[in-house]
Amino acid sequence: MLLIRKTLMQSFFLVAMAVTAGLAVNALRPDGLPLAGAAPSAVTLPANETDIALKDAALLSMSKRAIFLDARSGFEFADGHIQGALSVPVDDFERIFPGIEKDLAGKDAVIAYCDGEHCPLSGELAEKLTSRGVKNVYVLKNGWTLWNAEGLPVGKGQ
Amino acid sequence: MTLRDTPTGRDMAASRAASRAASWAARLAPALETALRLFLAGLFAYASLDKIAHPDQFAAIIRDYRLLPQAAVPFTAVVLPCLEAVLALALALGKWREGALFLSAALLAVFWVSLAVNMARGLDVSCGCFSTTKDSGGSMLWYIFRDGFFVLVGLAAWYLGVWRRRRSPGE
Repeated sequence: MLLIRKTLMQSFFLVAMAVTAGLAVNALRPDGLPLAGAAPSAVTLPANETDIALKDAALLSMSKRAIFLDARSGFEFADGHIQGALSVPVDDFERIFPGIEKDLAGKDAVIAYCDGEHCPLSGELAEKLTSRGVKNVYVLKNGWTLWNAEGLPVGKGQ
Repeated sequence: MTLRDTPTGRDMAASRAASRAASWAARLAPALETALRLFLAGLFAYASLDKIAHPDQFAAIIRDYRLLPQAAVPFTAVVLPCLEAVLALALALGKWREGALFLSAALLAVFWVSLAVNMARGLDVSCGCFSTTKDSGGSMLWYIFRDGFFVLVGLAAWYLGVWRRRRSPGE
């Protein structure tokens, strides 16, 4: 019994030393491994700009990690929009925002889109969102056209 | 009828031979134990070097073994080489013999099982035993054979260094 206790005690201390040394070395070295953190994702969210790629937006949409905000007019929205998107015409932002604020929290990406390569509405909407403290705001440039071209799921009506 | 043929004579001769063998073993055992212990110390020291130098590559190798959950991989990649280094030090100095020899044998056995499991399910992992370079040569069968030998060395060292000493009085 003494032998077992001795073995366990010494093993414990040896492992404790290894854990301490390992973590200390890892913390000090410049190329240390990140110990915690989510599993690597196939989605690459740009760090310093707001444009998100269609593939990333589509992936986030499928896994419900993103919410889409349609910056076009209500009429265009009713005619067809990205499935699950909310209608937020830029001019009506102040009126609509309080009602949708809670839907935007906790998403990996809040994606504003409109239609056309040079459509300014999605950028304006993104700026307004950011200024109201919404995190992870991105713009899917030319979003409606790109989404349609790939045959991705769409919705109709209000 | 000679003395040797009598039951007592035979017993005496046998016991003399046995005691001679026992005294040889008693004289050889400490030397063998030291040799095996130092061999293990060198083994672990050598094995830890490349892994401590390249934790990211070692993490990738651990991931390829498909045995640990993703979240445990970086921690293992950081701590396991240090455990090998700590064991090498303890074994070389002969400190904390019981714990060090037990952990050494256990670690080598775990490595052996990990290799065997992956061979059984048809995965050709890179060993990550002494090198973090992928495709550093050798087949699964060779790794398993080699580590099997190390396991036996670990068990022998534990037997001589811990189990045998336990029974000899005055230690």
